[in-house]
Amino acid sequence: MDERPISRVLIWLASASFLFLLAPVLIVIPLSFSGDVFMSFPPSSWSLRWYASIGQHPKMIDAFFFSLQLAGAVTAVNLVIAVPAAYALVRLAPPGAATLMSVLTAPLLLPTIVLALAMLIVAARAGLLATPQGLFLAHLVVTLPYALRIISTALATVPVAVEEAAATLGATPLTVFRRVTLPLIIPGLVAAGALSFLVSFDEVVLSLFMSGPRLSTLPVEMYHHVESRADPLVAAISVLLVLFTLLIVIVVDRSLGLARTFVR
Amino acid sequence: MTIQNGDEAAAPDRFLSLQALTKRYGDTAAVDAVDLDVRKGEFLAMLGPSGCGKTTTLRMIAGLVPTTAGQIVVAGRDLTNVPPYQRDMGLVFQSYALFPHMSVAANVAFGLEMRGMAKADIRARVAEALQLVRLTGYEDRRPGQLSGGQQQRVALARALVIRPLILLLDEPLSNLDAKLREEMRNEIRDIQRRLGTTALFVTHDQDEALTMADRVVVMNKGRIEQTGTPEDLYERPRTAFVAAFVGRTNRFPGTGAGDVVHVGGVTMRCARPVTGPVEVMIRPHRIHLDGAGDRRADDNHAAGTIIRTTYAGNVVQYDVQAGDTVFNVEQSTDATGAIVGVGTAVTLSWSVANTLVFEAAP
Repeated sequence: MDERPISRVLIWLASASFLFLLAPVLIVIPLSFSGDVFMSFPPSSWSLRWYASIGQHPKMIDAFFFSLQLAGAVTAVNLVIAVPAAYALVRLAPPGAATLMSVLTAPLLLPTIVLALAMLIVAARAGLLATPQGLFLAHLVVTLPYALRIISTALATVPVAVEEAAATLGATPLTVFRRVTLPLIIPGLVAAGALSFLVSFDEVVLSLFMSGPRLSTLPVEMYHHVESRADPLVAAISVLLVLFTLLIVIVVDRSLGLARTFVR
Repeated sequence: MTIQNGDEAAAPDRFLSLQALTKRYGDTAAVDAVDLDVRKGEFLAMLGPSGCGKTTTLRMIAGLVPTTAGQIVVAGRDLTNVPPYQRDMGLVFQSYALFPHMSVAANVAFGLEMRGMAKADIRARVAEALQLVRLTGYEDRRPGQLSGGQQQRVALARALVIRPLILLLDEPLSNLDAKLREEMRNEIRDIQRRLGTTALFVTHDQDEALTMADRVVVMNKGRIEQTGTPEDLYERPRTAFVAAFVGRTNRFPGTGAGDVVHVGGVTMRCARPVTGPVEVMIRPHRIHLDGAGDRRADDNHAAGTIIRTTYAGNVVQYDVQAGDTVFNVEQSTDATGAIVGVGTAVTLSWSVANTLVFEAAP
């Protein structure tokens, strides 16, 4: 580490920003251990009752497992689409590749509510509302740009000469990809996968539009719960979700290094 | 044009044959109808400025760039449309292009694995190749843990271990520092000689080309300017471009008048009769100051004054004003030799044979 003097103002500014970003988490954690019937801060008594009560909400648990499956499927299909797409855009570089890339990643810039509305209209007509297929397609649309971006960046950092070297040594294009390109973009794949999973798992607006009374994701179920009741149950679930997210990040960090994966 | 095969192809002086090889990008020809024959076991350098088409030619031979027209024939087999993975070429890149996720041994083994060789045989061949480049003991290192020179030696081993038809080297020394570059020059040359591998070496560095190659091809603007031994190119350049590109030279515009040329107030005899606008080239170290060097009766002379003296250790460079012309003169130094100071009047002399003339480009 180089020891550059860091200005005191900068340290204060950074600390304040961190505090601001972490504030919701810092409030949710004590709230989840509340003994009260209603959400109030600070809680007047402490207990684990809200954690225990999660078990009495089968809809929440069903929604959690559905969200998990949905995010898993979205991530898997995402990678299957994004890897060849990124390869075509970066390596084969057809005319108009840059434009195509902009179009494909445009959903990143669009307000989610606009996307959600558009999808609601399409899904209603196609009879996909409140179906797993409809939610799956909707999530795919919002997560694909992330995966495409990250994998394209990863691919662009693999020198073409390395692939050419493999080709001259007798490797067919498919073997070059399998033995050389793929291993070198694994960090990008993990990052793309993790991000797709988290974005899908977290998605509220789209899911709200696309789900129904019999099929909903965990964030939507939580939203409905808060709408009708003001107990700290969602705080307890939120803390578990934070831990779950942290777990994913730690796994990524341990296997590849966070900096290597997300900071490029 | 005929595709040779059978006995004719076995002719050792046409091991690699490029026939009207052309690569066009849009309207510009990067490589323009290049014809070239390379002997088996020969070390051939392709020399030229950047953009002259030498690398594109090499990449077409490797199969990495599709040809626009012409043919690439190796050992009697037309490889023009054969994909790179079926060509058996060993390519060494300027950037080394090692597989960063594999060990040194795995890098070298890669080509053999692709050929479906048995594990035990691979191990033996890899060990042999690493010994050849003096990297025994580095098997388990990753490329990132090696110095630039070591990485390039791994790349060399990786290309040679498959016993390629031709070893192709694309500016392999350009990323190395000066001292290492000289070591690697000898090492590559020695290994190539020992194995008898036919090698094609692309470089923009004339020293590399002259010191390493049996024959040098000078390229310019997609075409071959001249092909010959290093001595041919240096002593008997056929074009002004070759004379100027290979070695340092004085380059003067002049007017030919039969046996003599007039160059800015100096008249000199030249090796062949010329008329009209010409370019005259004289190597700086072939010009002598005053009494130095062997003198001949018919030497060219010019009287002048030294206007700048640069001491460079092994040589002293003088700028000498003679008439309207500034001659660059280079004299090798000697422990007892004196350095001539600025302002000294001197007489320059050089032989007629060293006075090269070329018709000036229109």
